[in-house]
Amino acid sequence: MDLKALKAQESKRKISKGYMWALFCAIFWGIWYLPGTVVWVLNPFDEMYGVIAGTSGDAVSLVVTAALITAFNALTVMLALMLWNGVLGKFGELGRTLKEFHPCSKWFFLASIFGGPIAILGSFMAMGFIGGAFAAVAALLYPVIGSVLAYYWYGEKISKRAAIGIVVIILGGITIFGGGVITEIAAGDVPWIGYLGGLMAAAGWGIEGAIAGKGLDISEPDVGLTLRFLGENIIWWIIIVPLLAIVGYPMYSFAFQAFEPLTLLVLIFAGITFGFCYVCWYKSFPLIGVGRGQGIGNLYGLCAIIFIFLFFGDVPQWTILLGGALCVAGSFIMFTEEAGELETLRGE
Amino acid sequence: MGKNRPIKFRILELFLDGKEHWNYEIVSKIQEEYNLRGNFQRDSINFDILELASGGMLKDVEQKVDEEGIYKKDFLLHKYIITDFGKVRGSDACLRYV
Repeated sequence: MDLKALKAQESKRKISKGYMWALFCAIFWGIWYLPGTVVWVLNPFDEMYGVIAGTSGDAVSLVVTAALITAFNALTVMLALMLWNGVLGKFGELGRTLKEFHPCSKWFFLASIFGGPIAILGSFMAMGFIGGAFAAVAALLYPVIGSVLAYYWYGEKISKRAAIGIVVIILGGITIFGGGVITEIAAGDVPWIGYLGGLMAAAGWGIEGAIAGKGLDISEPDVGLTLRFLGENIIWWIIIVPLLAIVGYPMYSFAFQAFEPLTLLVLIFAGITFGFCYVCWYKSFPLIGVGRGQGIGNLYGLCAIIFIFLFFGDVPQWTILLGGALCVAGSFIMFTEEAGELETLRGE
Repeated sequence: MGKNRPIKFRILELFLDGKEHWNYEIVSKIQEEYNLRGNFQRDSINFDILELASGGMLKDVEQKVDEEGIYKKDFLLHKYIITDFGKVRGSDACLRYV
């Protein structure tokens, strides 16, 4: 094979590898909404929600319970990632990267603030108050924020095609949120906190991706990701959960009750799917760029709707289906770029 | 700086001399310095170089087919040079600026 053909083949392989990682991310991410939805009806979280709702009201109870669920989610993700790094033999690199706080690991800790207490908490709030399909589809807007931030912040190119994809995704987002709100205003009861959760998920993940990119370009994704979840565990278990306990919510008594077989199994399932969706997500960024990695990862919305239908038999509202379809179409517009445009992702 | 810093930092540092380097030279140097043996580690380090290039910090300036099997027989060998962006990121990471 001559040099030119070999070059074309290699470039193709690299780009398809990037898209493959992003697609795996979508599948794992979509599956995650199953344990994420189920965990709400399991004890101790079901009981916790009832107890706190009795004294502080439904809205506060939902957020506090979501905080504990997200904290456990972070813990099981961390366990899955430690196992992953162990298998890859990357503990040494993990230590070396952690020590580089100023140039590198601070970006992962900063990313974890937007990823954890904003995006993942928001997702659990949306799952608890509105439902898994809405939570999944609402967050589909995140690549818009990710691409725009990556463009302004570190000059990542947005091609005309990617821009069209972004516009289609935004139209999808308006359909999802607008459609749901109009139906509920007619019914007289709008679960605003669930919609807020959906917006938190979209904004949080978009910002997280752009920030994490700053540290990722000079570190290994498996390692960077583990540090990002180390950051999230610190936020939940050292700051937020103790703070909520000091304010008077029964965090620890319910946290200890989570160690029962079924609840643990569901939490571990959430940890594995979410952990690996992140591994795949972060691995795709250096190969195809943050905006595109997020674009393909967006197919998780479709995966989530399919998995929720298969396992729970729920058919979402038509506005969620239409909006979701627009978002997926937008992702594909971003996805079907000419390979040549991807060879250099940044201007020189 | 040596082997107690992350691998990508060290790769950038090796390129900060401003000269062109072949990927197999860098990979074998890192393998030796960090005591990383085997094909899996070799490919993992090469992937780090690929990521740095995709991130716009290294520029692929020359390719040749590995006919003799210096690195991987019948695969492409790449020669890279650091870009201006790579130098900036390198200095962000507190590296020695050449």
